[in-house]
Amino acid sequence: MNDPMNEIYAKLAEILEVDAVAAGDVLAEFEYWDSLTVLSIIAMLDASFGVNLTAADVRRTKTAGELAAAVEERAAK
Amino acid sequence: MNFLFRRKRIGGLLTVVPANEGSFLEEMRRFNFPLNRSLKLKEVMGYDKHRLAQDGLCVSDLAVYGLQHLFAQGRLAREDIDALVLVTQSPDHLMPPTSSIIQGRLGLKQDMLCLDINQGCAGFVVGLIEAFLLLEQPSIRKVILINADVLSRKTSPKDRNSFPLIGDAASITVVERDTEDSVIHANLKMDGTRNEALMIPAGGLRMPSTAATAVLEDVGDNNLRAKDHLRMDGSAVFNFVQTEVPPMIERLLATAEVPMDAIDWFLFHQPNRFMLEKLADKMRVSPSKMPNNVVEHFGNSSGVTIPMAITLNLRAQMMAQKFRVCLAGFGVGLTWGSMLLSLGRLSFCESIDYPNTAEQRHDE
Repeated sequence: MNDPMNEIYAKLAEILEVDAVAAGDVLAEFEYWDSLTVLSIIAMLDASFGVNLTAADVRRTKTAGELAAAVEERAAK
Repeated sequence: MNFLFRRKRIGGLLTVVPANEGSFLEEMRRFNFPLNRSLKLKEVMGYDKHRLAQDGLCVSDLAVYGLQHLFAQGRLAREDIDALVLVTQSPDHLMPPTSSIIQGRLGLKQDMLCLDINQGCAGFVVGLIEAFLLLEQPSIRKVILINADVLSRKTSPKDRNSFPLIGDAASITVVERDTEDSVIHANLKMDGTRNEALMIPAGGLRMPSTAATAVLEDVGDNNLRAKDHLRMDGSAVFNFVQTEVPPMIERLLATAEVPMDAIDWFLFHQPNRFMLEKLADKMRVSPSKMPNNVVEHFGNSSGVTIPMAITLNLRAQMMAQKFRVCLAGFGVGLTWGSMLLSLGRLSFCESIDYPNTAEQRHDE
């Protein structure tokens, strides 16, 4: 599947310093899940997808897939 | 709202920093975090060295030391000061105004105006606007704008969200009339509904400081902080800056009818390296035109960081020639403001240290 949202998973993997991130992965279970990571994700989503999420928005999403869906929903608006 | 000023200029800039220096590499041991994450934070945010007040150092101490330096060097004459505008959030006392304390300690004339303004990271832009407004009066020919804060004294050393980036400093800016027909554009916005994003909850009259407000509390992410301490919602501030600042600069330049690439320097408040890099990206400004290195050398000293970016990076250039610069400040209030002006051919542009011991201070 050549979904442009796949780019999110690659960028999340980069920020979380892991090889790959899958839709079902629980964000809070990553070793590097902390306030710096959340801030880096907010900045990445703004720069790459033009979507401005708050830290609360990001922390509300449980999995990487939910985060991608939230971004897709905002980007469509 | 927009402001327009004519025939006004900045004549000189001095920054004063405590000689006492803190190091993030040493301080991070007291934060309860993995070492590699702290190192990552250092790399991304630019945390490294910061200047910290010690032994009860107050705003008036830094300001008096800086002004005495200027008097001694013949850069400024006492009797020429018609107004003293002090922008601070860490005054010596709740009352009287710290500007009055400075006036008294320096023995300045009575025929003048002393004014404290409670503003933070937008405080250089707000202070300049106030100084320019005062210069409209026939009796006011020279305004001394002082930005000064010692907020490390109100920051928890165990709060990794704020302590590593805080720095203490003062700046003294001479604001005067210009014989050339200079035009200065500025704009300012405020949103008091978001006043809690940056705040010191206790210590005023709404919540007086007590033994209870001094107790360190676990505020999440292993950070400890008391109600007496500065509290910053870092990610909310980040969202605010990325959302409000780029359109503000666009409006300023559109009003002035000046294209983005005609700006020599974007001299912005220095919250941390990360935020400035993201701002430059978003505004499509070359990072070489937007200094972002104040935090790593001195820490974030709220309203002082714009003068600091100048004295740290552009000292020789600002003495030699004039540049078209765009200033921007953003922070507590929330407040965000920007200014387009010609800056340069200053009569002084330097930074001095406030010595650690009384014996080294010539004013004692």
